[in-house]
Amino acid sequence: MISFKNVNKHFGDFQVLTDINLEIKEGEVVVVVGPSGSGKSTLLRCINRLETITDGELIVNKKGLKSKDTNINDLRKEIGMVFQHFNLYPHMTVLENITLAPRKALGISTAEANETAMFYLNKVGIPDKADSYPSQLSGGQQQRVAIARGLALKPHIMLFDEPTSALDPEMIGEVLDVMKTLAKDGMTMVVVTHEMGFAREVANRVVFMDHGRILEDSEPAAFFSNPKEDRARLFLSRVLNH
Amino acid sequence: MLDFTILTNNLDTYLQGFGNTLKASLLALIFSFILGVIIAVMRISPMKVLKAAGTAFVEFVRNIPLILILFIFYYGLPSLGMELSGFQAGTIALSIYTAAFIAEAIRAGILSVDKGQMEAGRSSGLTYIQTMRYIILPQAIKIVIPPLGNQFINLVKNSSILGVVAGLDLMYFGDSISSATYVVFDVYIFVAVFYLILTIPLSLFVGYLERRLAVSG
Repeated sequence: MISFKNVNKHFGDFQVLTDINLEIKEGEVVVVVGPSGSGKSTLLRCINRLETITDGELIVNKKGLKSKDTNINDLRKEIGMVFQHFNLYPHMTVLENITLAPRKALGISTAEANETAMFYLNKVGIPDKADSYPSQLSGGQQQRVAIARGLALKPHIMLFDEPTSALDPEMIGEVLDVMKTLAKDGMTMVVVTHEMGFAREVANRVVFMDHGRILEDSEPAAFFSNPKEDRARLFLSRVLNH
Repeated sequence: MLDFTILTNNLDTYLQGFGNTLKASLLALIFSFILGVIIAVMRISPMKVLKAAGTAFVEFVRNIPLILILFIFYYGLPSLGMELSGFQAGTIALSIYTAAFIAEAIRAGILSVDKGQMEAGRSSGLTYIQTMRYIILPQAIKIVIPPLGNQFINLVKNSSILGVVAGLDLMYFGDSISSATYVVFDVYIFVAVFYLILTIPLSLFVGYLERRLAVSG
């Protein structure tokens, strides 16, 4: 479903991604971990072309991201994205936040879009907040709205860019619970996170990155109990033992 | 003491000038706003050609005197076979000149909206234009209201440039009343009062909008 082949990316002279090879199959949950500045978020953002790759090949849902024939707006409708800072639209209600793209990008009627939005608001557990503005919600609630907003496009893939990093510790659980439910439902998910518990419990694979390279790509049990790379071992000892 | 007979004897003339100043200001306000939004969106667009064209427009228009732009339309266009009245040339010049300043104010407002908003819009499949229209501009407009208000007040005052090319505005009729009556001071005091009738309510309205938008957050 997502395939990186020898992908490199530069920001000017700085190489952020080096020789990335990664295959993600339909229904897989892949968690990307690694130290700050290792290129995790950039890797994720290449998948819906918020960042463009410098060379190599990246195929998402059978469409080449560098091909001129690929309509990026059409491809993006198949990929939901959740950001670290939620990025809800502050001038719109929760319901309007969720229905904007379905109405304007997919061309669905307002009535149908509202119905879909309520379905997903129920799924993330806050149907009573439909008419609230983002500023009236807690961080955890805002992030759940953002997830509902991504789901409302009925995407094939969901991308999560550190979805719990900006949350109060007490709010993290409610967001992770929603993500776990999604994973159980068979959604293809790529998650950049520091939540090792989530990775261990939910991921099919854990990808460890450092300095723009993928150093390890293993099943979570193997990764956490016996990481192959020294750098991964050091990272885990710092993240887990404190 | 002001000679109020100047006002009463020439009231029709004053009112005609006032009407034309109002008309030129309203037309220029609408045109310059639309043009300003387009130029601002061009200047921050990811397409290099549009960006360059928008920047060229702003730098050219903003850095030459308004009166030169007016002369281009009033004296320059007839040599290309296009005859414009003083009123038309003045209103067009005013619109174009003000658009450059409005574009800059709006661009600053757009750039002050968090860049995650654009990313959220684009990543959900909305086009650049849709994201601008539904997400970025509604947020930018609140930030932009105060500087925009100042530009519109400047616009009303700058409309006095019409007088230079017989644009039948307040300034033009002020000049003609003055040369007919040989009175200078009193005539222009009344001209000033008519300008204030336009600019003070405008200024109060901008203040009101600012307060209202501040409340709605």
